[in-house]
Amino acid sequence: MNNKFLFIFTIVLCCMSTSLAIAADLSGKVSPQGLRKADNILVYLTKTPDFSRPPQNEFVMDQNNLTFLPHVLVIPRNGIVSFPNSDKVAHNVFSLSRTKKFNFGSYKPGQSHKVTFDKPGIVELRCDVHAEMIAYILVMKSPYYALTDKKGYFKIDITDLDTGKYYLKTWHEKLKNRKIALDLTQAESKSMTIKLKRGAPGVLYK
Amino acid sequence: MKKTGFCTILLNVALVIIAISLIIPTPALSSRKKNISVITGVVASDFGMVADARVRISGNSSFSLTDKNGRFVLETPSFSSQPLTITAGKDGWFNNSISVWLGSQNANIRLYPIPNKDNQAYRFISPAVCARCHNTLAKYWDKSKMAHTTSNVKVLNMYNGTDATGRNLAGPGFKLDNPDKSGDCTVCHAPSAAATKGGAKDIETALWSPKTEWDGISCDFCHKIRKTVKTNDTPSLFKPVMKRQTPYRGNSIMVFGPYDDVVNPVMSASYSPVFDKGNYCAACHSQVGKTESKTSWDRKKVYTDTEWKNFNIGDDTIIPIQTTYQEWRGWQNSLPADDGNKGKKCQDCHMSWRKEMLPYDNYIIDGNARSMWGVKRDPENIRPHHFDGGTETQLKTALSLEIDGEIQNDILNVKVFITNTNGGHWIPTGDPMRQVMLLVSAADSQGHELKLIKGETLPTWTGVGNKDGGNYSGLPGKVFSKVLKDKQGNINVPFWKADSVDKDTRIRPKTTVTLNFQFKIKNPDDEPVAEAKLIYRPFIKSLARIKKWGIKDIIITTRAW
Repeated sequence: MNNKFLFIFTIVLCCMSTSLAIAADLSGKVSPQGLRKADNILVYLTKTPDFSRPPQNEFVMDQNNLTFLPHVLVIPRNGIVSFPNSDKVAHNVFSLSRTKKFNFGSYKPGQSHKVTFDKPGIVELRCDVHAEMIAYILVMKSPYYALTDKKGYFKIDITDLDTGKYYLKTWHEKLKNRKIALDLTQAESKSMTIKLKRGAPGVLYK
Repeated sequence: MKKTGFCTILLNVALVIIAISLIIPTPALSSRKKNISVITGVVASDFGMVADARVRISGNSSFSLTDKNGRFVLETPSFSSQPLTITAGKDGWFNNSISVWLGSQNANIRLYPIPNKDNQAYRFISPAVCARCHNTLAKYWDKSKMAHTTSNVKVLNMYNGTDATGRNLAGPGFKLDNPDKSGDCTVCHAPSAAATKGGAKDIETALWSPKTEWDGISCDFCHKIRKTVKTNDTPSLFKPVMKRQTPYRGNSIMVFGPYDDVVNPVMSASYSPVFDKGNYCAACHSQVGKTESKTSWDRKKVYTDTEWKNFNIGDDTIIPIQTTYQEWRGWQNSLPADDGNKGKKCQDCHMSWRKEMLPYDNYIIDGNARSMWGVKRDPENIRPHHFDGGTETQLKTALSLEIDGEIQNDILNVKVFITNTNGGHWIPTGDPMRQVMLLVSAADSQGHELKLIKGETLPTWTGVGNKDGGNYSGLPGKVFSKVLKDKQGNINVPFWKADSVDKDTRIRPKTTVTLNFQFKIKNPDDEPVAEAKLIYRPFIKSLARIKKWGIKDIIITTRAW
């Protein structure tokens, strides 16, 4: 009886050890070819479990001086984004992306609108009357992502992720996506350098 | 019964109390009113009181309309260290103004009607004159295509049958086929010449004339337009109605425009609502022609009944050549009243602010005039004159592209979505020589191209030969364009030879075209990739080669899967 108990205990322990939750950072630097600045590059993990309950945070995509601010906004699935108009002229924010279609129509300085983004993917934002205005909202399936700063540095908090094999992917509007296989077996921080080439950007999730 | 009567009295008392409380302002309301002053007055003329005149404090966004007795009431903030300029304007009348102090009860303004007659012998003013005051405005206009319509080499080459080096008999030419006709090109390409009595009807004559005001679509020509009307006399089916009487008073220049508050000694300005409407642009951004054979063509093969009805260009012996105005109008007509795009017009996009003009300032419209009689305005009410259209900036956001893929055994299914995001007209629009090409490719993980087994390919006329040289014939993809055909069956012919429209695959406003392609995968375990690219080309490749036009394709956008 005791032997049987010991056997079951060992099996359970083995199972636990192969799916231990990691609590570490994944950081590094992205070097993009042919770009003046290395910011706004999305670095994220795929093949991870989806959000069980995405955070209900509210995000802001502002408009000022004929520019969307920020240029790239990364949000979890079901994230709510408000679109205030802090400019001196009316804007008409809209998206005809398959991830989320909406059109606020023309609205004046001081006014605002809100949208919930319930589907993961890329949303290309436009202003109907100002051709130079373009921005992206990237809607993520899981919380393991980060945007690079101006020098290309990024840091992903990978708390509560089981050990296993994942992919680290990148996205930027002017760069080819890159996919790197990652074997996360230990709860230790990893640092890496990623080189990216100019080219057609791909989709976030295949 | 008594009880009911008592209740009625109580109810009445309550109603009276509520009514009184609504009439007597609360302290908060009255204190708000304390900051507001009221100016009243009348707008009158030699013919009586002027109803429906727009009255405002010069430069303010809000205005009041006069009632049938010409009376108006304006509310203003109750502090001003200077007298206020109150202006009045109405379609058909010269704007006028009066200076008053706050609280004035007799801000009476007199309006004078614009002359009934047009002076066809009028000599238009050169843009150089306008630029003396409106120097920044003129700078942006001068950089625009509007300023160079007469001297546009490609227009002249197509008119004369020459090439960019000046060689004669180089490809098609309107004059080669129609030596005795002018083609009415000047109506839009040198409108000041065409509109002047005894002026040039031939674009070459207009170009080489010493009258510099004939070159381009000038400030004075556009601002002498009173309204546009439908006609059968012009290739566009619309024509501007001009009013030219300058000097009108003293040395003042008579001008029409969208402002009812421009009042100064140099310009006799008149408010004209057409400046803020799409049909102002119709006089040129519309062109039709009779079929060369003067017989009907099968328009149902190309256009839906609704599209044809929206063109409103006549029977099917008429060919729609350039229909930008009709495309916009058809789109607007199709929108429900609560649609966010309802009411959008040409000026909203083609005369909007650009980042290079920031910070927002009146200088963009006034220039030197600011220090003289310029009116300080909200940036919302300023229309920069850059007239962007077909520029790289606009093209790059006019369309969007998305791509999706799916692997089924040894087949890669690629789905491409092309959306006309920012065009209020079909894309490409204007001249039928313009094309947008979609190129689709797929490759295995080693970079080897996959073979297309199902899906459209690009036609021969997109260029046969090396892909790097811009030749895309036979490659997976599609071309979006209007193709004109002559009676011999030749396609992509110049408009004056067209006998029908062969195809019109251009992308309608705010709509998405979805295309499917299938590629063969050699190794079923491989992870193939696919790429889609949208390219804009302003001319047919073979024509550009004959005419020696050095044309660069513009890559609108590229997406990968």
